[in-house]
Amino acid sequence: MEISHIRVLKWLGRTALYLGLITTSVVMLVPFYWMVSTSLKMEADVFASPPQWIPHPATFVHYVEVWTGGLPFARFFFNSVFVAAMTTLSNAFFATLAGYAFAKLKFPGRNQIFFVLLLTLMVPFQVNLIPLYKLMDIFKWLDTYWALIVPGATSIFGIYLMRQYILSIPDELLDSARVDGSSEFGIFWQIVAPLSLPGVATLAIFTFVGSWTNFLWPMIVTSSMDMRTLPVGIALLQEYHTVSWTQTMAGSTIAAMPMILIFLLMQQQFIEGLTAGAVKQ
Amino acid sequence: MGRRFIRAVKKYYVAYLFILVPVLSTVIFLFIPMISSLIFSFCDWSGIQPPRFVGLANYRKLILGDPKFIKAFVNTTVFVILGQGSGPIFGLLSALALNQKIKLRAGFRTVYFLPYMTSMVVVATVWKMLYSESGLINAVLGGLGLSTTRWLMNPRTALLAIIVTSVWQGFGFETVIFLAALQAIPRELYEVAMIDGANAWHRFWHVTLPSLRPVIVMIYIIGIIGSYQVFDQIYVMTGGGPLYSTLSIVGHLFGNFTYMKFGYASAIAYVLFAILAVFSYLQMKLFGREE
Repeated sequence: MEISHIRVLKWLGRTALYLGLITTSVVMLVPFYWMVSTSLKMEADVFASPPQWIPHPATFVHYVEVWTGGLPFARFFFNSVFVAAMTTLSNAFFATLAGYAFAKLKFPGRNQIFFVLLLTLMVPFQVNLIPLYKLMDIFKWLDTYWALIVPGATSIFGIYLMRQYILSIPDELLDSARVDGSSEFGIFWQIVAPLSLPGVATLAIFTFVGSWTNFLWPMIVTSSMDMRTLPVGIALLQEYHTVSWTQTMAGSTIAAMPMILIFLLMQQQFIEGLTAGAVKQ
Repeated sequence: MGRRFIRAVKKYYVAYLFILVPVLSTVIFLFIPMISSLIFSFCDWSGIQPPRFVGLANYRKLILGDPKFIKAFVNTTVFVILGQGSGPIFGLLSALALNQKIKLRAGFRTVYFLPYMTSMVVVATVWKMLYSESGLINAVLGGLGLSTTRWLMNPRTALLAIIVTSVWQGFGFETVIFLAALQAIPRELYEVAMIDGANAWHRFWHVTLPSLRPVIVMIYIIGIIGSYQVFDQIYVMTGGGPLYSTLSIVGHLFGNFTYMKFGYASAIAYVLFAILAVFSYLQMKLFGREE
């Protein structure tokens, strides 16, 4: 009697648990589903009543329109890929190099410089926005890739991350290479860089995602359609009444898919990187 | 001094070379702008004529003569309080649920995390469609016989609608962090508590919660700092309207920037900086203690 009582309670508890998890999953997935399904609908069916859950008839025409038609989504896509790739490469290289110097090389002022750099993490980006915009104007970089890439080409957070990672490389390994006559850059390139690859991968994923989803800065420093990135393009095209919801959703799907794919493929790396800083084992 | 300096440079130039680009970049793109911004905040400057020093006039205007800024400050604070009052709690609840012996744990975690991987502009665009007058949310509510409204056009609901979207986008992050923290709590702590006869509630209250404390603090500080800078979703969904009911601090800054009121916008930026500095200071102290 007692035992079956407990068993019923346990069964109820687990049912409630799964019900909660599944309901939440539905709430998380429906907006994504609606984005994709709208992109496949005919314009007249977008706000059909009752809502049309399965596009009928389904069409890929909006993808063709935003990709090769009047809307420059192919160009937005290229800009986003190019800017994210350049930003990631540059960050990975300089953060590893500087992270190595701060972790393993001794030089006067090392700790002081590192501390001052870390302090800058406190400064919200908006504080620098206007002078940085003016600086881009002075450099004649407005509406060019330079403005989109160079100010974000290095990051203090990246240096911090790589320094923490490189600290765990044993000094003996570096010293023996030094005895063998390797140059400091040789040691960096042949020993430190390969051993830091997992850390670099984590940094690269975060930098790429950050660049891909960045909005305020690319919006401010670009003015021609040819220089817009995907988020800026999507946000601004909505203001044109000629752009329909179906096209906007096709563009949104194009913008969302690469990140979702990267996440699904590199999930383990991503979550480990995310939680490594947050949770001390 | 000079000679010692030169000798030091000779001996250590490789190390200085390795940090040169990030340091230069920080000076040019961060220190100089930061100081310029502070100077601009004491100036009247429209970008065309040279800046004119006006002392504290911009700051005085912010507090005494700009109802829009007060509105933006209140809106943003409401956004922070309601968003941070709910998001991390949802995150903790889902992490506790996922920490049970359940099937498809990784699958659930992936699904909850997907919006966090998606650009805020895309998320906001999709939700703008969902919230529209004949959108999916009203269709579902109407189908259930509940009242509907134009969520983003109604000054009473627009901010709330944006908060819902923001929590939806962000709570997967909190779930992932809390789940990792839960899995890092040593089993023995629970076993000892069981031997002492603690029930599930006691175990949560006396073992789980204290173990999570540093992570909870971190989640809240990161969350508060990030939320005070809210801009993207508001720009896309309402542009700050209707009737400034969703105007945020950064939105107000951006508005003044587009009207070329660079001095005034810089003052707004520094007020935001001051608000965030309090939380950043707490973060530094807490992280510093952990190191």
